[in-house]
Amino acid sequence: MSLSRIGVGLSVAICVGFAATTPLAKSQPTTAISADWGLPQLMQELADVKSASAQFTERKTMRVLTAPLVTSGTLAYTAPDRMQKTTLVPVREQFVLDRDQATIVSGPDNQIHRFSLSEFPQITGLVEGIRATLAGDLPTLQRFYIVELRGAPADWQLLLRPRDARLARFIKWIRIRGSQDRIEAVATKGSNGDDSEMSIIEDSSDAR
Amino acid sequence: MALCIWLLLMIVCAAIVIRTPVRTDMAAFLPRSSSLAQQTLAEQVSKGAASHLILLAIAGASPSTLSALSKSMAGRLRQNAAFIEVANGDGESSIGVREFVWRNRYLLSADVTADRFTVAALHAALENDLGLLGSDLGALVQQSLPSDPTGELPTLLDQLGGTKGPSHRDGVWFSAEGDRALLLILTRAAGFDIDAQQRALALIRKAFTQARQALSGTETVRLLESGPGVFAVRTRDTTKRDATRLSLLAVALVAGLLTFAYRSLRVLLLGLLPVASGAIAAFAAVSLGFGFVHGVTLGFGVTLIGESVDYTIYLFTQTARGDSARDTLMRIWPTLRLGALTSIVGFSAMLFSGFVGFAQLGLFSIAGLIVAAGVTRFVLPHLVPAEFFAKGTEPLARPLLAVVRHRAASRFFVAVVAFLAIVALASHRDGFWDETLSDLSPIPAEAQALDRTLRHDLGVPDLRDFAVFKAENQERALEGSAVLAVALRRLVRQRKLGGFDVPSQILPSEETQQERQAALPASETLRNRFDQARAGLPFRSDTFAPFFRDITAAKTAPLLTPANLPPVLRLRLDSMLVRRGDGWVVIAPLRRVADPGGVAAAITAMRLPGAAYVDLGQESGRLLQTFQNEAVLLVSIGSIAILVVLLIGLRSPARVVAVSAPLAASVTVTAALLTLDGGKVSIFQIVGFLLIVAVGSNYCLFFERPEHDVNERSRSIASIALANLCTVSAYGLMSLSHIPVLHDIGMTVAIGTFLSLFFAAAISTRGAIMRPAIAGERGRNAPWPGDERDHLSSP
Repeated sequence: MSLSRIGVGLSVAICVGFAATTPLAKSQPTTAISADWGLPQLMQELADVKSASAQFTERKTMRVLTAPLVTSGTLAYTAPDRMQKTTLVPVREQFVLDRDQATIVSGPDNQIHRFSLSEFPQITGLVEGIRATLAGDLPTLQRFYIVELRGAPADWQLLLRPRDARLARFIKWIRIRGSQDRIEAVATKGSNGDDSEMSIIEDSSDAR
Repeated sequence: MALCIWLLLMIVCAAIVIRTPVRTDMAAFLPRSSSLAQQTLAEQVSKGAASHLILLAIAGASPSTLSALSKSMAGRLRQNAAFIEVANGDGESSIGVREFVWRNRYLLSADVTADRFTVAALHAALENDLGLLGSDLGALVQQSLPSDPTGELPTLLDQLGGTKGPSHRDGVWFSAEGDRALLLILTRAAGFDIDAQQRALALIRKAFTQARQALSGTETVRLLESGPGVFAVRTRDTTKRDATRLSLLAVALVAGLLTFAYRSLRVLLLGLLPVASGAIAAFAAVSLGFGFVHGVTLGFGVTLIGESVDYTIYLFTQTARGDSARDTLMRIWPTLRLGALTSIVGFSAMLFSGFVGFAQLGLFSIAGLIVAAGVTRFVLPHLVPAEFFAKGTEPLARPLLAVVRHRAASRFFVAVVAFLAIVALASHRDGFWDETLSDLSPIPAEAQALDRTLRHDLGVPDLRDFAVFKAENQERALEGSAVLAVALRRLVRQRKLGGFDVPSQILPSEETQQERQAALPASETLRNRFDQARAGLPFRSDTFAPFFRDITAAKTAPLLTPANLPPVLRLRLDSMLVRRGDGWVVIAPLRRVADPGGVAAAITAMRLPGAAYVDLGQESGRLLQTFQNEAVLLVSIGSIAILVVLLIGLRSPARVVAVSAPLAASVTVTAALLTLDGGKVSIFQIVGFLLIVAVGSNYCLFFERPEHDVNERSRSIASIALANLCTVSAYGLMSLSHIPVLHDIGMTVAIGTFLSLFFAAAISTRGAIMRPAIAGERGRNAPWPGDERDHLSSP
């Protein structure tokens, strides 16, 4: 089994996914739950968010490890397509996705890796799924995923299941939990059994 | 008697010609003194890995259509054994290399030493892995972790990856603007194998057509091709087309003119006899002198001795009704001889050139012109029909006679034009000489521009910097390149160098491979150490079974040889590790050299035989510089030699001035015209100047020649006009060629000889001759006393 650059892409895309989902809309007095609240309304609310920042804690469970790995740091989002994830604990690492361009700064000597996301077509689906959620872009989201919405505006859950077999080889599902236009948690189930849960606490100081 | 000698000579020469090898490689054209590096690099251009490259772009539709076409084309081409690699940026590109590197990581990685597998080192590696698992690269690390906990692969891929590919769109490579899908192809055949390249191109076009037909909305799509093989095929096509079409046209035109003038097919064919004999003799002479003839010599040489067609024109046209060719020849031979001598002396300067090509051209033109003049003098008179005279030449002289009649005004006009030309040349900025090597290439400028664009799009570096050294055998060469790699890595760390390739990255020496195998611990030892290293870390115990298995296998695996490399890596190895004579040369490409001085110093300081830093751009520049300096020097020497010959032949400085002034004026005005729009003078144009002098000097000599009467004079002028018409039409047609060499020479000579004709008429013509002929008397029987004196006496 060769470890291909596609592997890099996948990992990155998963990270990006998290980053993408983190941007939180600041709670705005939303209108009362109407009878016809659903995907279109949620998407519209998410689309109205222009920028956000948050703290995160991520817990990864991996097949090769006997104990979960926990990391934490900050997240930032600028509509429609810039996302940044900065891990502070246990090791500092920064990941930025700007349109198609991904940049990772890591290691003791702050090594910079740059690559373009579309180099990895399988992953593009994954990233686009989450970026589309963030941007409230329902058509794009549905091009890649079967989208299911549960709950109510104050406590909703979005379940994304890949339509494409290639994407499904890497990821079983993504579950995004939120309240109003704010995302509170992202859980990812990998096809190999690994999973990850990220909880997100939005900075209240953000201007909307 | 003369006929017999001529026939014998031709038979001997033909026998030599048949056995002569014709070489077309650049190495054969370079100076004999050129260095090993220069010669090897010249060879690399035609045979190295870079010569296998074909760069493609698909343009003219939406990105999604272009992407689909790219995938479909690549899929079709990958089925074909003519291509080693078809890369378009999708997942299939270079899978073979990745698999190979993964399988052989313990033989290839420079990090594999005994220290790598101690308990402490393994523990450190696992701790590092744990850190990576938690990072954004976690998923990547997790995939390879069970087989590669010490992380050999990422290092190796970094090492072999080289430069980054282009950007992606819809899963394939695209230009930054998103208007072209890009493909990079390596053909199995080298760039110099033009037939194979032509077949490969045909396959590519077929795949493109099929991909197009299978998709809708592709009516406006275009395929753009570039690369050494593409150029080679296209140049051959253009040369063939230009050469056949233009030379057919030229022959038709010149034959038409001569037919009109001579009204005799036999004489027309006789006109070709001197030049044909000259070419065969010249070919044989070069063969005897050098052992081979370069293709360039052959092509150019024939143009250089083309003026011998003029000899026959002078002879045939100046033969009056009732005269014999033999008498005419007696009369004009001194002038003709002097004309041929000036050309021979002018060209002979080239004989002393350090460039083999130039020296061959010198010998070719000397031998060719001597034989052609000899055939004109001794053979032709026997073959011209007794009653022949050129019936249709009279009107040709008229325009020139007008110039001659108004000499004073014409001279003033020439002086003004020459003065303006000097002013224009003096005010020309940035120097006259074209110092861009690419301008010498036979490839049109637009094609070169497309090539630059595609290379830029695809991120294919234009390799111009190399480290080279010699070794006595392959093993030594590989050992040496590992040593070189250490020095180069240091330069990269010091930021003097962006990156490099060495053969030992692809194929370590046998000794190194054996050392690496010996450094791998035995199975039991490894397990024991690994268990100790894992203590206190949260790794599952069964995770690393693939690692133990792979190490055990690697320890006894057969060593890598060139034969079991994947084709792409084999190609890269073969262009870096080249057999030369009974030894080997390593040519290691360097990327982004930031500090040439520092890099050169570090490479030369190494104890490798012949170690040197080569900047190909600088080498070519230097070569071109030498070429130009030499060309200028040779032209100067040639000009002086011509003046000396004229002085000896004409025995009067005033006459030398009358003959050489029009030539100087026409070369000056031609140079000014050619550089009017800021253009530069190329080497080919310098050769053109030489031709102007060679051909034009004959005009001047005939104008300057004392004629006995008006009829003789007008026949003489008609013969010059006819010769000039033929020259201008032939070279004018040549200037229509798409090949820069032909275009440049054609343009220069057509303009220059046309100018010399009128300048010679204005300046060289003598004052005393234009008296009316005495009625009823045959002019040539009543020489003008003054002319006679002029002709014979010394000043």
